[in-house]
Amino acid sequence: MRIWVSTVARLGLAAVWLVAGGLKVGDLAASGRAVNAYQLFPYEVAKVIGAAQPFLEIALGLLLLAGFAVRLTAGISAALLVVFIAGIVSAWARGLQIDCGCFSTGGELGAGADPAYGWDLARDAGFLLLAGVLLWRPRTRYSIDGILMGDEQ
Amino acid sequence: MSKGTRERAQAKRVVQEQLARERRRTVTLWTTIGVVAVLVIAGLIGWGVAAGQQNDAGGKLTVPPSAVDDGTAFARGSGPVTIDIYEDFMCPACGQFESSSGATLTQLVDANKVTVRYHPIAILDRYSSTRYSTRSAGAAAAAAAGGKFYEYHEVLFANRPEEGSAGLDNARLIELGRSVGLTDRAFADAINAKTYTAWATKVTDTASSRGVTATPTVLVAGKKLDAPSPGALTAAVEAAGA
Repeated sequence: MRIWVSTVARLGLAAVWLVAGGLKVGDLAASGRAVNAYQLFPYEVAKVIGAAQPFLEIALGLLLLAGFAVRLTAGISAALLVVFIAGIVSAWARGLQIDCGCFSTGGELGAGADPAYGWDLARDAGFLLLAGVLLWRPRTRYSIDGILMGDEQ
Repeated sequence: MSKGTRERAQAKRVVQEQLARERRRTVTLWTTIGVVAVLVIAGLIGWGVAAGQQNDAGGKLTVPPSAVDDGTAFARGSGPVTIDIYEDFMCPACGQFESSSGATLTQLVDANKVTVRYHPIAILDRYSSTRYSTRSAGAAAAAAAGGKFYEYHEVLFANRPEEGSAGLDNARLIELGRSVGLTDRAFADAINAKTYTAWATKVTDTASSRGVTATPTVLVAGKKLDAPSPGALTAAVEAAGA
């Protein structure tokens, strides 16, 4: 039973990263601007982060999908999510009017729309929970880890 | 079973467990190295792709001759106080700003109090299926090259497509140009050939590097207005000494 909970968490987290990265990878310049909108880095640095991030997210998604080094990839996922949550909290605390850019190239918020910081945070916390499940019990079905470790099931 | 056999079996199991542990350690080590390598490579690919895209854009950059402010804006009027307006032709709040404050801006320009610099940036491409923000900013540059930026700017906001739609197609952009007197081939050709797409990206990039994260962003004499309105504009221009 537990192994299935972990398996679902792994595939769910993989989907999160693949969708998040996939939606941003088409417009890297916009992704850079989204990072810049947090006003935490100089623009040149933000551009590099914005360019690298979608590819990192997709790579993490693929690793999780394959079930390769699950505890490590879950740990990296958790670390990234904590960074994202910190970024959103800081934007909220400074009263910035931005779209978190979590699942889009977001950044600037047009249209007099209200930022949805609370909702973004709740969602990221949910993803963090998935990563937590995997950190705690990284063994899952249909994984490369299972094959490599010669699991005794 | 004799005592000797039992001991031998136990010893065998201990050895097997040790080998299994050894194997897990090796696997963990190499998978860790593998993961780190994959992530580093993925990040470098992103960096490389973005740098390549930026170089491509730089190579194709055509700056409209009348552009001011490092080739990223179009000026209207020649008064002493500079008003910078960053807007996206798809942005509803920009449309509202234009309809509420357009007349005030015209008065200030006519009274020779201000120079208005329009920065047509493209930050809302994701809200149309055809990258309308970039295309319309490029069309505005083509209009500027034809000497009719402001007229075209007005007609674009008067015909602003809703967010989430396809945006106006090129034929419609050309037709709107014709309605303000942009009848020559050069205007239509620039739109169809995407002559100013790289320029629109450059303007957007420049705005972002200046910390512009929303539209409309309005600065009077370099100072950002929190809530752009006719009253706020007039007051800020007065304060700036005109």
